[in-house]
Amino acid sequence: MVPAQYYLLLSAAVFCIGLFGVLTRDNALYFLMSVELMLNAANINFVAFSLFWGNLTGQTFALFVIALAAAEVAIGIGIILVLYRNFGSVSVTDAATMRW
Amino acid sequence: MAFEYVPAIVLLPFLSFLIALFAGKYLPKGGALAGIAATAGSLLLSIWAFLTVRSQGAYQETIYTWASGFGEQPWELTFGVLIDPLSAMMLVIVTLIATLVHVFSLGYMNDEGETGLPRYYAGLGLFTASMLGFVVADNLLMAFMFFELVGLCSYLLIGFSFREDGPPSAAKKAFLVTRFGDYFFLIGVVAVFATFGTAAFAGAESFPVLAEEAVAGDVTVNTFGFDPTTWFTIVGLLMLGGVVGKSAQFPLHTWLPDAMEGPTPVSALIHAATMVAAGVYLVARMYGFYAVSPTALAIIAFIGGFTALFAATMGVVKREIKQVLAYSTISQYGYMMLALGAGGYVAATFHLMTHAFFKALLFLGAGSVIIAMHHNENMWDMGGLKDKMPVTYWTFLAGSLALAGIFPFSGFWSKDEVLYEALIHGLGGSPLLLGAYAMGLLAVPVTAFYTFRMVYLTFHGEPRSDTARDPEPVRWNVKFPLTVLGVLAVTAGLVNMVPVQKVLGLEGIDYLHQWLDQSFDPLTAHHYAEVSPYSSGYIGGEATTVLVGAAVSLGLALGGLLLATQLYNVAEPTEHTAKLGAIKDVLYNNYYQDEFQVWIANRTRAVASVADTFDQGVVDGVVNGVSSVSLFSGSRIRRIQTGVVTNYAALLTLGLTALLLAFGLLGGWFL
Repeated sequence: MVPAQYYLLLSAAVFCIGLFGVLTRDNALYFLMSVELMLNAANINFVAFSLFWGNLTGQTFALFVIALAAAEVAIGIGIILVLYRNFGSVSVTDAATMRW
Repeated sequence: MAFEYVPAIVLLPFLSFLIALFAGKYLPKGGALAGIAATAGSLLLSIWAFLTVRSQGAYQETIYTWASGFGEQPWELTFGVLIDPLSAMMLVIVTLIATLVHVFSLGYMNDEGETGLPRYYAGLGLFTASMLGFVVADNLLMAFMFFELVGLCSYLLIGFSFREDGPPSAAKKAFLVTRFGDYFFLIGVVAVFATFGTAAFAGAESFPVLAEEAVAGDVTVNTFGFDPTTWFTIVGLLMLGGVVGKSAQFPLHTWLPDAMEGPTPVSALIHAATMVAAGVYLVARMYGFYAVSPTALAIIAFIGGFTALFAATMGVVKREIKQVLAYSTISQYGYMMLALGAGGYVAATFHLMTHAFFKALLFLGAGSVIIAMHHNENMWDMGGLKDKMPVTYWTFLAGSLALAGIFPFSGFWSKDEVLYEALIHGLGGSPLLLGAYAMGLLAVPVTAFYTFRMVYLTFHGEPRSDTARDPEPVRWNVKFPLTVLGVLAVTAGLVNMVPVQKVLGLEGIDYLHQWLDQSFDPLTAHHYAEVSPYSSGYIGGEATTVLVGAAVSLGLALGGLLLATQLYNVAEPTEHTAKLGAIKDVLYNNYYQDEFQVWIANRTRAVASVADTFDQGVVDGVVNGVSSVSLFSGSRIRRIQTGVVTNYAALLTLGLTALLLAFGLLGGWFL
């Protein structure tokens, strides 16, 4: 059986890739994909711990997270559409007027 | 039980104030009927309370305690009612005159087509309510609050015709001058609390009783290091500031003649019969406190005597009918102060009552004349109104005879008793009182003279203008109040015929003396006579003194009356004031008192501007400084809000990292 550290390292790597995407890109679609990566990093943790504990709760939680991610994408796509309509692009740096 | 309804006496006019204010424009007569109903209801309840005091004695109850201290300062600030003979009598007077003035207003305001009637009746209602609240107050702080409300109503009603030039300025003057006096009153109230820890008028723990015991050495109160008598004199004089302002005594009398800018019924109600009476009533209410201080009493007597003479001389030269009455009001309140200062508690109360009736009568009579003359108040345009308005003439004449102090009208009895008290107590070893008495006596012929000058110029002789030849008729709503007050002005003196009792030896016709003795123990006229610092002296016997005093004052009054008849009861009277030479200018300009006050105001402008600088610079400066610091720092710090979502994400990540590092260092993960 593969030891738990490998799963955790994989999860941390996927999370960091997602975080890197959020911090460096300005295309909103990349944002969506990066967030998806970060959520899945968490899922990997859930499933791995579930396996090691012999307890199904973690896997159930992973299913919840997948459903949540689907809902998030639906809303995210909606926001991106409105962004495109108003600014003619999907760059997040354009939508910077909601401040002082 | 009548006493349970005492709060309703105050609340009914307040209700009419609310009705007139919020629904007046939808009601017929602009809310007048609600006012009449409310004041008439108060009158009935007051009479009931009056009769109950007669059968069951005085009554005091605390209704509401709105603040109470603890520990070292167990003070209680309360609202309560005190119904004793003095306040019951005053309640009847105030409600009666308020009712009659409301009825009269139908003729003076409604029939004349004035606008703004709801505002007018709201003002009258609020005024009546606050005056009644002042009368029933059972402690000094409550009395002070209603005292201030009364002043506010006076301001609102004097400035009723706020679109003209005169009234708003007169209203401001009245408010500021009386406020100046009230400022000292407020300090006095605080001093009473600090000294005695209570401000109650009645009861074993009331401040007049404590003051008396402190002077006798039975109890100790906090007198701030002064001798008790000295300290009570200081506190009494501070409170006297409010009295001098409200009762228009020298030197704060200047507001009252200007207050004649208000509608005439308002002048009758407020500036003659009730509000101005508040000052005198206040001194009578806490007379036990003043009685322990001979100095304060002497000062009151002297202010009163001086004001009586001083104001009377100015009334001699005035051309407007209401101005003459205004100065006579100041002068008559001077008599009341003289009586109070001379130890004549009953005499002052008596004169307060008779004056309320005959002065309200004279003002309403003047209002009737003003309606007839189409609001021309100049007496030199009148003349010959006697035959055209007989009801007004005869009632006005009754009021004038009372004011002049002619036997047997009400003013004779009360003024005579005032002068008698001053005389016997002056002869008993107070030369200062004799001086005040001399001034009061000198004012008698002057009063009779200006009163009958006014009567003759207004009603006798030939008409001197077209309006006087064809005056506008007045209706029942003017004649009815005049008749009621006319009867009272003639007969009210009969309630206290002390001279008759003393001369003929008839016992028991000094009803007012007996009445005022029915109060709580330390609030009786009897007790006040005992604690007063004066002793009595007589010319010959007591009866002789009474006869001499009455004969002298009546003789002087008749002399003034005859002189007025000689000069002005002719077909074509002319101004005789020119014969006075330079004195005429001085009198006509009110001894330059207004100019003097303006001069003082200009001299003290430096102080005012320093205060203004302090206010603008320091007080406002702190407030403005705090807000500008917030504004400036806000304008800088908001720059960190870029609006770019990536930056926020970066900050989130940095925060998370910092947290993890902090936990790690504290938890020792890296060791």
